[in-house]
Amino acid sequence: MDAEYSPTMDEAAGLASAPAPSLEATLVIAARQGDRTAFGRLYERFAPMVHGLLLARVPRSDVDDLVQEVFLQAMKRLDSLRNPEALGPWLAAIARNRARDHYRSTEPVVQLTDDVAGAIHPEGGALGVLAAIRRLPEAYRETLVLRLVEGMTGPEIAERTGLTPGSVRVNLHRGMQMLREALGGSMRT
Amino acid sequence: MSGGDYLWDGSGEPDADVQRLETVLRSLRHARPAPALPAPERRRALRPGGWWSLAAAAALVVAVATVWMRTPDRREGWTLSWLEGTSWSDARVVREGRLGVGEWIETGAGRARLAVGDIGEVELEPSTRIALVDVGRKAHRLSLARGVMHAMIWAPPGQFVVDTPSAIAVDLGCRYTLEVKDDGSGVLRVEAGWVGFEHAGVRSLVPAGAVGDTRPGKGPGTPHFEDASPAFSDALDVIDFGGSADARRVALDTLVAEARARDAISLWHLLSRVDGDERASIHDRLAALVPPPASVSREGILRGDRAMLDAWWDALGLGSSESWRKWTASW
Repeated sequence: MDAEYSPTMDEAAGLASAPAPSLEATLVIAARQGDRTAFGRLYERFAPMVHGLLLARVPRSDVDDLVQEVFLQAMKRLDSLRNPEALGPWLAAIARNRARDHYRSTEPVVQLTDDVAGAIHPEGGALGVLAAIRRLPEAYRETLVLRLVEGMTGPEIAERTGLTPGSVRVNLHRGMQMLREALGGSMRT
Repeated sequence: MSGGDYLWDGSGEPDADVQRLETVLRSLRHARPAPALPAPERRRALRPGGWWSLAAAAALVVAVATVWMRTPDRREGWTLSWLEGTSWSDARVVREGRLGVGEWIETGAGRARLAVGDIGEVELEPSTRIALVDVGRKAHRLSLARGVMHAMIWAPPGQFVVDTPSAIAVDLGCRYTLEVKDDGSGVLRVEAGWVGFEHAGVRSLVPAGAVGDTRPGKGPGTPHFEDASPAFSDALDVIDFGGSADARRVALDTLVAEARARDAISLWHLLSRVDGDERASIHDRLAALVPPPASVSREGILRGDRAMLDAWWDALGLGSSESWRKWTASW
């Protein structure tokens, strides 16, 4: 029979600093004990973030498979997460690493060369806009994809990725400004 | 230009540019349901005094291992072999010769065969990606992310389950082909026996000679025989996966006009998927093709009475509903 799970000292210290564990931490602890439903709820909560971080980096056709791989990897390594409250930043790190590994292990992919200026309205325009976002600096790329594609608010992005709200706000506004410039007149047509 | 609060948290006066981009980019949003993942491995913390227990356990392990190594280990996964002379280097494989629980395999240009424990075989077509999810005592489970697999299972019903992005397929004693396309949609073709297809409470029972389509977010469509008329199949597609009100009306008329007695299984599935006037039309056509037993009333069917639906199923000549209700109860 399996032994009952006990938190490590590090975890206990982390939990002691908060009066009560958050729902997220509670789900992490339950998932560690083999509760698939808890892991499923964590997936529902964090899959859009992982999807967005990957979509900002790798070809769209590979993103769904990589999301599954990130969660599979996370599940196997859930024990190595020292602070259950920090699942989001931990998943984000796995996703970014997985995107880097993906480029090392695959053939170079032909990048989209859509005519961005005319890409918003025709069919497939979403890929043109995505291509324009991908040309932005990485920090802007991530936050814009999470906001505009995944529909997360700024506070949600900050909470789930572990970035400060101030950084997210700056990234959103600067990134949006650069995206407007990149898309130019097509924003109005 | 007014970005401000709307860009940050959606409050305040909407920014037209941001709204337009949200609309355009929504199609790229994450939409896949959670895959069926194996349970996380449990962590065991060593308690005070645990070292003695550990030593005792170690001794036990040595004793047990001798026996264990001579016994086929289900947890090791499934045996994997390549077909048609494909070399190992032609595919991304996590461990040569065996696919373990939680591991993925992606076939390259070649085909591969998996021995499903001692209950069957699965063949994978090129460019197919699967993971072994579980090899538990109750069921073998894999996840088909994309590509084509052929399964031949000789275990009792319910012991072989395949997760796809849009539905799960449960073997009910059969041989079948399952395809998952890049957009997550799928097609199930049953060659022998039956397969159950399910998503979020929507279930299809697909018999030999029939096809079941599935779409992300919508689940399995209505099963239909492959020899049904193209017009009938196309009409089912409209009813199952969307279309304008006008298109639905035309599709319903087509279904009623084209349905043969052999298509009764499709009409029966539709009874619990449409409502109102549509259900009434389907009822009337099915009643003309396969008269319901005396215990089944039109009013009962229109209100979705499950016992009456089961009784009518039994009259279709496809076997008793009791057996598949039993197997599907645990999905």
